Amino acid sequence: MGYYSYGLPPFVVVVIALYILLTGSGEAFNVGRFLEESSPYAWAATGIGLCIGLSVLGAGWGIFITGSSILGGGVRAPRISTKNLISIIFCEVVAIYGVIIGIVYSAKLGEFVPEAHLYTRENYFTGFALFWGGLTVGACNLLCGLCVGITGSTAALSDAADPNLFVKILVVEVFGSILGLFGLITGLLMVSQASDFSAASSLASPLVSVA
Amino acid sequence: MSLCPPYAPFFGFAGVASAMVLSTVGAAFGTAKAGIGIAGLGTFKPELIMKSLIPVVMSGIIAVYGLVVSVLISSALTPASYPLVAGFVHLAAGLACGFTGLTAGYAIGVVGDSCVRAYVHESKVFVSMVLILIFAEVLGLYGLIVALIMNSKVTGLEVC
Repeated sequence: MGYYSYGLPPFVVVVIALYILLTGSGEAFNVGRFLEESSPYAWAATGIGLCIGLSVLGAGWGIFITGSSILGGGVRAPRISTKNLISIIFCEVVAIYGVIIGIVYSAKLGEFVPEAHLYTRENYFTGFALFWGGLTVGACNLLCGLCVGITGSTAALSDAADPNLFVKILVVEVFGSILGLFGLITGLLMVSQASDFSAASSLASPLVSVA
Repeated sequence: MSLCPPYAPFFGFAGVASAMVLSTVGAAFGTAKAGIGIAGLGTFKPELIMKSLIPVVMSGIIAVYGLVVSVLISSALTPASYPLVAGFVHLAAGLACGFTGLTAGYAIGVVGDSCVRAYVHESKVFVSMVLILIFAEVLGLYGLIVALIMNSKVTGLEVC
């Protein structure tokens, strides 16, 4: 029943696209021009925001999945409460990765460059690198936080059933936490060749024309 | 129309991101789903846990495939002289590796979960489980191979 509403956004997009095409201004749809005219600062800032936002979302999600299981299992088996806090720490580490990358990326924003001198090749590159790097780190940390959270919840309930199981299920949790580390590595590699935002010596902007 | 426009790295970076993120979706799902099954097995037969960690290890390998492709693509990205064709091919390589890794991780997770639960009751299931997991893993490997072939086509391209 609710699936009918999924058709409305594509329908609106198709109507707008056909209108643009059939009224003779099809050239207005120009991905390259959009990428050239959008500010690199917009891309960079969005990436940094996504990085920290999605990482913390993943960490929080994992913490509440694990925490509710620890507390629930702790009713009948109070001994599990202290040992299973390590699963909470595994989830927290994912948020720390997001903070680290957010700080490293923020350092690349550098001095403010006025718009007329902003649109150089290096600045475009840095803007795109920070956007996609931030999205990669954020999404990988979100998934890692979820995975560690589910596995930590499983470990807590297994520990409540049998104390010997905790260390063995912790191995699965370690495998889950390497996903966040891979995201961190990829995020750092992406911006390794991106320089800070710097002003061009002469006019460099698709928006300001020398009239 | 330049062959090396300044927005070409946008597509290259999109390839890096999709390789890493989509493989991680598969790896995370595989690890979590198989982990739930392993905990279920451990409650009844703790001595079988070490052998049942195979699905979890294979999910980690899927994430490594994504890491390999994203490192390979990001090493080729430079602000100067990066052709647009390289951007599109890198995006395609990242999507190939990413979506196959997503599928492989999903398959490994579901197969691992149900097979380790069967392993509690019947120990002869183990060999079939490993065989099925290998076939699921190889899906991710196909994506890695295609991504590597595509990447090799655009390395060392002297266009601009």
